[in-house]
Amino acid sequence: MTHPMLPATTHDEAAAQLFVRDFKMFLTEAVEPGHRARAERLDPGASSNARVETVYDRLHADAAFRAWASLRRTSQEMLWASVSESVTRQADSLEALAAAAPELGSLTLDPAFVQPAYLNSGDVHLMPGGYAHDDGALLQGAVMDRGGAVYMLGRNGGLMNDVRGHTIVAHIFAQYPDLDPANILELGCGVGTSLIPVASAFPDAQVHGVDVGAAMLRYALARARHLGASVHLHQGDAESPPFPDASFDLVFSSVLLHETSPTAIANIMAQSHRLLKPGGVVVHLEVPNRYDELDLWGKIRGEIEADYNNEPNWKAAISADYRALLAQAGFTDIAVGYQAATSTPVRDAGGFSDQSMGTFRSWFVASARK
Amino acid sequence: MTQAADRPAMPTRAKRRIPVPGQSPAEDRMLAMIAALASELAVTRERLDSVERLLERANIVDRTAIETFTPDASQGSDRDAIRRRLIAHIFGPLRSDADAQGDA
Repeated sequence: MTHPMLPATTHDEAAAQLFVRDFKMFLTEAVEPGHRARAERLDPGASSNARVETVYDRLHADAAFRAWASLRRTSQEMLWASVSESVTRQADSLEALAAAAPELGSLTLDPAFVQPAYLNSGDVHLMPGGYAHDDGALLQGAVMDRGGAVYMLGRNGGLMNDVRGHTIVAHIFAQYPDLDPANILELGCGVGTSLIPVASAFPDAQVHGVDVGAAMLRYALARARHLGASVHLHQGDAESPPFPDASFDLVFSSVLLHETSPTAIANIMAQSHRLLKPGGVVVHLEVPNRYDELDLWGKIRGEIEADYNNEPNWKAAISADYRALLAQAGFTDIAVGYQAATSTPVRDAGGFSDQSMGTFRSWFVASARK
Repeated sequence: MTQAADRPAMPTRAKRRIPVPGQSPAEDRMLAMIAALASELAVTRERLDSVERLLERANIVDRTAIETFTPDASQGSDRDAIRRRLIAHIFGPLRSDADAQGDA
């Protein structure tokens, strides 16, 4: 499945994007195992008080590791270069398509908006310009949507990239079956890949999304309109969302927290509480790993991602004690665990447990009630 | 709608690109050029494969005709554009470094 706003590709653009996909696959499947094995040989053992740092430093002494780490980053840069060239080529047609969309939902931009320092310090995933770049139109959103589809290698709902949104719905059905939200908010909605499936699951609700990027949100609105979804999008910061207290019955985020900062995570929990009506539900979905459950290579890989793919908050986000953070923010009925990934959430299907089923098979979820 | 002429260029470099400790910028750049070259080659091979299959399906051309083909002026100019884009892409890392020097 796809949608009308998704940038198309010419024969050669498709070939270039497939090259990036297969190059990434080669670097991961054919080259990475050798470095993983070397990391295990370099392991100073569990008695070391700087085990991960020591191995990470020792790996860098090897030219082959450095070449692999460098080409891994290059593959990511090639992804954005290829997608950006393709999006720029069809800028006029994408804007015309956006202008021709049915008038559903709304967009509220804040010309005085300043992106948070943690985003300003580095472009997440090496996407040039980052989430907040404003090209004056919707191109940065188109780049992110197409780039995300390539980056996920089709493992997260293909070109719709929407499994996480459906999985949030599945979690609500499993843990809060009585919830019938009239007002919904997503913090960090991006181009709406998770917002649309949640909106579709609750068709009578008024659905809002907040994100930092004007171009991202213009694209998100056009994307939603062409999918027949009415969503209200706002430029803002998840640490200070522009809504009065007790405005929503459901507040959620989808893989947002690991792109923020340790302070922001605590602030986002507090804001989620402030924004909910009594009895409302918060759901934060995150990457399906917990730091203390990762093996040595899993931790090393996280360092590589932090340094060479601009994921600096990854470790903090998967180490955080969400039960304590939610309790501190005033929540009750706290649930922390893993929700089975799905594209077709149905009521009474469960799927929530304290065991991860692995990457792309389940997602980490921290949820609670106000 | 924004017209192409006054449309600002999309950013091409990500903020925060830290050196790989122990690796020279020259090696990083060289590897990136090789990766870009491999990508161009893959794209070209795929396109050639499409063309040959279509020609074969339509029973239009044999290999001898491809070997003896000579472009006219307009076709030659199209080929110049293809070749220059290829050079800009493969040697993009060289330009990126130069641009970064210019910003500093």
